Amino acid sequence: MSAEKIVSFSDVYKTYRRPGLLRTFEAPALDGLSLELERGEIAGLLGLNGAGKTTIMKLMTGLLFPDAGSISVFGLPPSGMAAKNRIGFLPELPYFHPSATASEALAYYAGLSGLNGPAARARIDAVIGKVGLLPHAGKRVSEFSKGMMQRLGVAQAVVHDPELLILDEPVSGLDPLAIHEIRDLISEFNGAGKTVFLSSHSISELEKLSGRVFIMVKGRLAKTIARAQWESTPGGLEEIFVGTVRAAA
Amino acid sequence: MRHFISAWKIGGHSLRENYKNKFFSLFIIFAGVLIYASLLAGVMAVDEEARMLTDTGLALMELMTLAYSVLAAASAITREIETKTIYLVFSRPVSRPAYLAGKAGGLYAAAALMLGVMALLHLSLIYSRGFTPPPFYLKAVFFIWCKILMISSVTLFVSLFTTSTFSAVSIAGILWILGHFTSEAKFLIARSSGAAALALSAGAYLTPNFQLFNARDLGAAAPPPAAPGFLAAYLLVWMAAPYLFSLALFRKKEF
Repeated sequence: MSAEKIVSFSDVYKTYRRPGLLRTFEAPALDGLSLELERGEIAGLLGLNGAGKTTIMKLMTGLLFPDAGSISVFGLPPSGMAAKNRIGFLPELPYFHPSATASEALAYYAGLSGLNGPAARARIDAVIGKVGLLPHAGKRVSEFSKGMMQRLGVAQAVVHDPELLILDEPVSGLDPLAIHEIRDLISEFNGAGKTVFLSSHSISELEKLSGRVFIMVKGRLAKTIARAQWESTPGGLEEIFVGTVRAAA
Repeated sequence: MRHFISAWKIGGHSLRENYKNKFFSLFIIFAGVLIYASLLAGVMAVDEEARMLTDTGLALMELMTLAYSVLAAASAITREIETKTIYLVFSRPVSRPAYLAGKAGGLYAAAALMLGVMALLHLSLIYSRGFTPPPFYLKAVFFIWCKILMISSVTLFVSLFTTSTFSAVSIAGILWILGHFTSEAKFLIARSSGAAALALSAGAYLTPNFQLFNARDLGAAAPPPAAPGFLAAYLLVWMAAPYLFSLALFRKKEF
């Protein structure tokens, strides 16, 4: 029996348009992308800069709209409220208002996800503890290091206990200890039966975490690799990635 | 109900962001210093000291709140887009109408708070000089707030299609000035004909008439203000129309 598909991209096209003085500049981002995510998996997204990784994540969260093709998240349109209720999103380099404390920032985002009252308070305390920010809960975000900011970013993404966690470069620029802790958090989240979709420039990170990896080249899905495939390939995922990118160039 | 709760939370967050902003405090402190400095002008006015203190204070309160509110409205949404905090909002079940309503509500509340604190400072000066505020004082402060509500709504809308905060502030400044010359514009319209009259009429209708809410006129020998029902309807139109136009721009905006 095949696993339930919770995200589906079908022949999706997306082009960024920037109006200029005499003409509109176009930058194609996705070129007929089709992919599916299965419930309970950790799927990785690998590609060079500009390959379309962030575009995919923004389309999944309803921050962008496709030019053509269809996208469904839990069988629903991604820009709808019902689908967004079930998603947690960590953008690359998350930013929080510097004068807010970690607790206040989380309370705000929990509230926007429909969590209120004592239930929200309990959940915020639990999540702050889980990401290791309990001693800093009352500190202003302006005092946070990059690693602490990233942990707070993960906390806001999971505070409403989503079924699907979308992480854009979750370990970018972090020190090895912070990377280890974020990795543990992702594994723990997935261990509770939740689905994780993450992008990273770090091949080794995706190798450690993912069950499947999608390799994007110039807005196209060049290859989908399962863990067993890269584990049985000399040179692993890196070798497959380099080969795929060179072949597509 | 969900939309209302989202708007309420965004409004509360926007208000907190504003009053925690150091410029918010700086504007109040600066206004306080200027209000107390008007004591010198009041002393020189001799018999008219009470009127001088009241008029100068109200004018300073209006100008300082205007300056802060226009700056805050011009950057409220653009800053969230630039810092990408908007990703964290719109990846959640938050509708765009609720977001815009919340942002606007937060700005209105911040202006009310700023005006309230300035009014307390101003009243403390008036009482310390042994005077009592004129009977229209609270109404005058409320009317200043009404003007700020209109210009903040317009600025928020303008900020959605201008290329920078500076251009949004500039347009708001021009509208603010033009909006205080509506009766002069009407006079010109009556004396013009053809395309000029049409252009002037269009300009007059596309600019909020701030003269209707002029606080200073309440204490002077000026024409009586318009009926409260008309004023309320006028205010609502100038808050609702920019909101609806903003929504039209924002509905399909990508981030």
